[in-house]
Amino acid sequence: MDLNFSKEDLAFRDEVKEFLDKEYPKHIKQKMENGDELSREEIVEWHKCVAKKGWMGHSWPVEHGGTGWDATKVYIYLRELALAGCPTFVPFGLQMVAPVIWTFGSDEQKKKFLPRILNFDDWWCQGYSEPGSGSDLASLKCKAVREGDEYVINGQKTWTTLGQHADWIFVLVRTDDSGKKQEGITFILVDMKTPGVEVKPIITIDGDHEVNEVWFDNVRVPAENVVGEEGQGWTYAKFLLFHERSSIAGAPQMRRAINRLKNKAKNVYHGSEPLCEDKNFLSKVAQFELDLDALEMTELRGLAAMREGKSPGAESSLLKIKGTELQQRISTLAVEVSGHDAMPYGGPYGFSDVEVAATKDAQLSAPKYLNFRKVTIYGGTNEIQKNIIAKAVLGI
Amino acid sequence: MNLSYTDEQNLLRDSVSKFCSSDYDFETRMKSVDSESGHNPEHWKLFAELGWLAIPFSEELGGLDGDNVDLSLVFEEFGKSIIVEPYLANVVLAGGVLKRGDLENKTQILEELISGTKQISLANYEPNKGYNLDNVDCEIGSDGVVNGTKNTVLNAPNADFFLVFGRQGSGYAFALIPKDAPGLEIVGYKTYDGFVSGDLKLNKCKAEAVFSSTNALEILDETIQEAIVCICSEAIGAMEKCYKLTIEYTQQREQFGQSLSKFQALQHRMVDMFMETEFTKSFLLKVLATEDASERTKLIYGLKNQVAKAGKKVGEEAVQLHGGMGVTQEMSVGHYLKRLMVISHLFGSSDYFLDKYIDS
Repeated sequence: MDLNFSKEDLAFRDEVKEFLDKEYPKHIKQKMENGDELSREEIVEWHKCVAKKGWMGHSWPVEHGGTGWDATKVYIYLRELALAGCPTFVPFGLQMVAPVIWTFGSDEQKKKFLPRILNFDDWWCQGYSEPGSGSDLASLKCKAVREGDEYVINGQKTWTTLGQHADWIFVLVRTDDSGKKQEGITFILVDMKTPGVEVKPIITIDGDHEVNEVWFDNVRVPAENVVGEEGQGWTYAKFLLFHERSSIAGAPQMRRAINRLKNKAKNVYHGSEPLCEDKNFLSKVAQFELDLDALEMTELRGLAAMREGKSPGAESSLLKIKGTELQQRISTLAVEVSGHDAMPYGGPYGFSDVEVAATKDAQLSAPKYLNFRKVTIYGGTNEIQKNIIAKAVLGI
Repeated sequence: MNLSYTDEQNLLRDSVSKFCSSDYDFETRMKSVDSESGHNPEHWKLFAELGWLAIPFSEELGGLDGDNVDLSLVFEEFGKSIIVEPYLANVVLAGGVLKRGDLENKTQILEELISGTKQISLANYEPNKGYNLDNVDCEIGSDGVVNGTKNTVLNAPNADFFLVFGRQGSGYAFALIPKDAPGLEIVGYKTYDGFVSGDLKLNKCKAEAVFSSTNALEILDETIQEAIVCICSEAIGAMEKCYKLTIEYTQQREQFGQSLSKFQALQHRMVDMFMETEFTKSFLLKVLATEDASERTKLIYGLKNQVAKAGKKVGEEAVQLHGGMGVTQEMSVGHYLKRLMVISHLFGSSDYFLDKYIDS
């Protein structure tokens, strides 16, 4: 066992740094630094920039365009990206639907969709939850009826992240309601431009428009867009969720965030000494860093297992729970550090019209804290994750 | 020992509670939040007519001679409906400084405040200066000229007058400054809980009067302590509403063939929310019932520490147990969390007040 990077790994790290130094678009970097909102075009530009380098498939098998890196390299790569403050990858195509397509999809689907996902030509979104089906996802009702070579979809999906930008959506639909609720679910791919698809915004407590309702009104989809077999969608859905959960933890982003917060604390006063000398604050930071170390190592163990060809299983729930709890802890700490300066609210990306005395960093801490209330809810609530661990990992 | 409210106090609570439940539903609140001034002037007029704006002032100042218990129960009821009307800013903060201060024409100004015709804001905190009340750069010259920057001045955009706290010579004083005084720039904004606030930039701004130059810091300290009791009471009202909303929601919401409230793991979470609320309420009563001034001060610091932690926890749990719906603007529960978060840090964080508790 060895935690040191090899010479080759260090050279790779330099290569990533050099790439970011030269190719990471400066205007995007600046916006990320300021906490400004990226436009759809800028998010696409960032992904295309990585795609051009051939580094989008860091978690993909080589045969579909993956980089073939070992766990250490993937770790180094993601860490460098996060430390440089790069936008996170939109996961719905790259990390969620792609593994489903290459594992269960037809050759035509692989040929049609995977290269476009890898190149970020298509923006994907997720059609899983419904108003009445959240934690109990398998109770979903959105209906698809086969008519000749087509399925006709009627129903509603919700919490669709960035659906307003998407070209495609993967949808769980009910094609049979005669048996158990887990049976009769089908996994289908829908072009968002199909007549009858409507996206309606949901505004969250931070004031942002990130999630949406997606409505289907007699939406006709070619039968060839069904992934795998009709009625087997629940199996694929769970497979996808394991992948989703293992990508939520976000340890490298938190490493950057805690470093920035420690730095900031040098110039912040709550009482008569700077916060960086305050025992209470230091103890919170230390406890956070200890937990982050443990999370990072758990993530590494998962990456290593994935490289050996194991699919992330129910263990991904551990990462999801701990990762999201830590994300909330650090967003809370950021509000605390900002003190009264966290109060002015100029929208989820700060003020654009007036100049307030509080720093932008401080202003953005509260919207971020509020936005991060979602993380223990999405991808299956943390309560559901504990049920999964109890059942599938501990066998109780 | 007597831990019950008097008949008069119960009547006051009923009257506030009646307004909140019949005239201040969530939709009405959000209309106030989304309006230009951030509150409904009709409500403010009503508060004045009902005598609520007169509560904490002595009879000779035109008030009702109410005490902290009266204020506390008003705020507890306000908290249940997360009332955004600027009661704290006007009555408790600005009113608190005026009633304790030696401003010459204070009776006249208080009369206007009590009748709801004029609004006044206290401006003491400054950007990145923390929570220590004496940590200010703002200067009030011997000629009454004021220079400095103030921020998160509660209700600033609606204020007709400001009471600006600053250094004067080797001590401190308050300056009374009308909103249209030359050299005063007001930058108004909403805070993330939906209230309005603002920054003041004072550049050679001539005060209409300077007062309390011998004991301004003590007055400010006493006023903030009273305000802490008020917002902690408000938080307790909000916490009570949070666990009740959560019980209601989990009883309605069905998943896996039964209502969420039937799951034992979630029942325990709601029991915890309830217990946090009750124990915090007990602590508040201890503060209200303590007469010794220095003991009381120490307990107020303790209360703020308790409320900062418990309020945040109960608010966050309420959102979590509402699931995805909890993080939407359209549900009220997220707005309770926002107010509880602001209260949690207003005047000082839990850690800050823990240190003050230890040191006093």
